[in-house]
Amino acid sequence: MSEFLIRNAYVIDPLSGIKGEIMDIAIRNGRIVEEVGSNAEVIDADHCLTLPGGIDSHSHVCGTKVNFGRYMSPEDMRAGRTARKGVMHVTSGYSVPTTFGNSYRYSVMGYTTVLEGAMAPLEARHTHEEFTATPHQDMLANTLFDGNWSIMEAVREKDMKRAAAVVAWTLSAVKGFAIKLTNPGGTEAWGWGEDVHSIQDQVPHFGVTPAEIIQTMIRANELLNLPHSVHLHCNALGVPGNYRTTLDTIDLVPDLNDKRQSLYLTHLQFHSYGGSTWKDISSKSEDIARAVNNKPAVAIDMGQIMFGRTTTMTADGPMEFKLYMLHHNKWSNHDVELETGSGIIPVYYSRKSLVNCVMWAIGLELALLVKDPWRCMLSTDNPNGAPFVKYPEIIALLMSRHFRENEIALLDPRTAHYVPLPAIDRELDWYDIAVMTRAGQAKALGITGIGKGSLAPGAEADIAIYPLKPESLDPSAEYQQVMAGFGKTRYTIKRGRVVARDGDVVVEGANSTIWTRATVPPGYDLSVDPEFMKKFEQYYTVRMSNYPVQDVYLPRGICIPTEASL
Amino acid sequence: MRVILRTKPRKKPFIPIEAETIIPQNFLRKNDIRVYEGNKERRLEEIFYITAEGPAVSPDQVEIVLSGETGNIKRVGEYMNAGRIVVEGDIGMHCGNFMSAGEIIIKGNADAWLGREMRGGTIRCEGNAGHYCAAGYRGEKRGMRGGLVDVMGSAGDFTAEYLSGGEVRIHGDCGDLPGVEMRGGTLTIGGHCHRPCGNMTGGTCMVFGRVYDLLPTFRGAGNEEREYRGQRCQMMLYKGDTANRGKGSLLVKKNLNRTGTD
Ligand SMILES: [Zn+2]
Repeated sequence: MSEFLIRNAYVIDPLSGIKGEIMDIAIRNGRIVEEVGSNAEVIDADHCLTLPGGIDSHSHVCGTKVNFGRYMSPEDMRAGRTARKGVMHVTSGYSVPTTFGNSYRYSVMGYTTVLEGAMAPLEARHTHEEFTATPHQDMLANTLFDGNWSIMEAVREKDMKRAAAVVAWTLSAVKGFAIKLTNPGGTEAWGWGEDVHSIQDQVPHFGVTPAEIIQTMIRANELLNLPHSVHLHCNALGVPGNYRTTLDTIDLVPDLNDKRQSLYLTHLQFHSYGGSTWKDISSKSEDIARAVNNKPAVAIDMGQIMFGRTTTMTADGPMEFKLYMLHHNKWSNHDVELETGSGIIPVYYSRKSLVNCVMWAIGLELALLVKDPWRCMLSTDNPNGAPFVKYPEIIALLMSRHFRENEIALLDPRTAHYVPLPAIDRELDWYDIAVMTRAGQAKALGITGIGKGSLAPGAEADIAIYPLKPESLDPSAEYQQVMAGFGKTRYTIKRGRVVARDGDVVVEGANSTIWTRATVPPGYDLSVDPEFMKKFEQYYTVRMSNYPVQDVYLPRGICIPTEASL
Repeated sequence: MRVILRTKPRKKPFIPIEAETIIPQNFLRKNDIRVYEGNKERRLEEIFYITAEGPAVSPDQVEIVLSGETGNIKRVGEYMNAGRIVVEGDIGMHCGNFMSAGEIIIKGNADAWLGREMRGGTIRCEGNAGHYCAAGYRGEKRGMRGGLVDVMGSAGDFTAEYLSGGEVRIHGDCGDLPGVEMRGGTLTIGGHCHRPCGNMTGGTCMVFGRVYDLLPTFRGAGNEEREYRGQRCQMMLYKGDTANRGKGSLLVKKNLNRTGTD
């Protein structure tokens, strides 16, 4: 029986309604408890900021797409090299580091749970193998359904229950967590060299629209009672003027769930552009934030970009082709049979590029203009906007107007003409940041029930203690300290074990992979559905019996079972 | 200051030595300089007989002379920013990686990756250079960016790959694909070569020997006169690579080859 007592912690635990109190936290066998015995090991937090372990609700760290980013960018491996040290493996890479590199860097920043934003179902095995090699975070996989033929056929037949059945079979077969739609319909259209440009465009050969796919999937998701909502990467990413598509999409969303939102819109920065060309691109963050504020049924994440080198990777194949046509650098394009596709290119975001400056401002504006921090998560769509190691800098920018002014002074001087950021006074406080980096994520992902995102008795003992003293530190003025503090915890505790201390990882790590299995009534079990089986045998390059990911790929899987209302 | 490093006999002379520490700025103060022999770290004096003569107050007053069995000493002159290195014989791979200033003279042959991603300074090689002379490294889209690499002999394949600035002169022949992916700078080839400048987007390549298998994506654009080693030469100008915007210039000496396929 292992017992810990964290003394004198300055605790912010939004899910428990604790907004900054000096408390003790007791831990027994990996869980938070009311009290422990006198022999418990004691950590003196010395009034340092103590939060539930960080949760990243949208990041790309594992799977074939990420790995292809590694193949095609050997130059990325020149950066971020660390030698073997204690239990730490060697690491290398900056925007697409090795799995251990990702895991250690997250751990040192206090992150204990990470959701992989896009897993291609057919390639799930590889994603799970990389999850196992990302040992310090519990992992979850958003599973791609954007170009799934069976889904689109069900949408065409207006058969929502059939769509739900496809999701139920697929998620349990690939050990996925939630539904991800990336440019719904667009990736299938890209298979024909086309794209969809609005939510009312028809997908070639299927005769369905993105709007129909999105609406059907939101409802199918609720029929399955899945923990998370549909996780959507809107159509028309990165296209000037795309804010209209985003507003149209937000308009579609019904409010179907009282525990969380009904739709999660990811990396919204990339979807908030005004103008009509790259020359007159402008920020439409005010319109988007207003729509989000008026629609409690949606949650968003920022998708902040930060200046410097990174790699973009997404299932949105046509969008990456457009980027390739701008940069003429390396480009990878990938098709995943009946399901989805992907594209990857390296990019450099520059302060000399007006477009990049506008993008940088939009991400921050969204976080500052969305009033409810529970519905705006901090993210960079790692590594698309920037590698996640930039989070501390983003936190400092959100907490300090002074820091923002200093940074704005370095931008292309025309930027101010296209963005509202210089006029925004709001400075987020410690509570807002705690919500935007863990509690909000736990709620939106629906994983509070398994003890994520809070420090209440019964919760998993995932805890981050930062060398920051909110009682005496003014984040507005001392933003450098804020940045340094969020970059390196004093202690990161995962399931009741200290896993990182002052920047060093101290144990091997033994994460879990969290997945969902919705039980459906017999009539909806596609594993014995003749039509589904026939399609599988006819079109896939693998047999249906070989498709499901075996348990051996999830050495410490945690299944969240649900009962479908079909 | 002149530092002479003469190799000591080694039990296993085939094990390469990694010596990125051999750069003038490191010899200014008598630092504890170490190199790797295979996976073993060695003090410099375990590998070399060292003699130092004369004073120096800045790195540009330091000259390092390497002699003996130097053919598998790698990375000499990496990140060098001043001074001079003279190699009496051959030198191993990656000599002058990323150097930004100063001078390296090689009296023998250089192995692959001579002056890779060099930023400035001068490298003169009196013998031959290996593959990837003055090239970029894996994945890097901007190779050599400045300075001069001057090779009296021949060079291997992929010479000046990703060249984006500075000047590369190979007075002998080049192998396959010199100047491939070039985007700036100047590449001069005194002898013959195969398939030059594939996918080039900028810069100038001049070939004063024969071009074998000229790529079909280069478009004739008239004649020009150029001087090489005191002789005025009539050159045919090609623009390309038209498969990638076609903004580079490839000049090939007339009369030697007709369509480039002989
Ligand atoms: Zn993403």
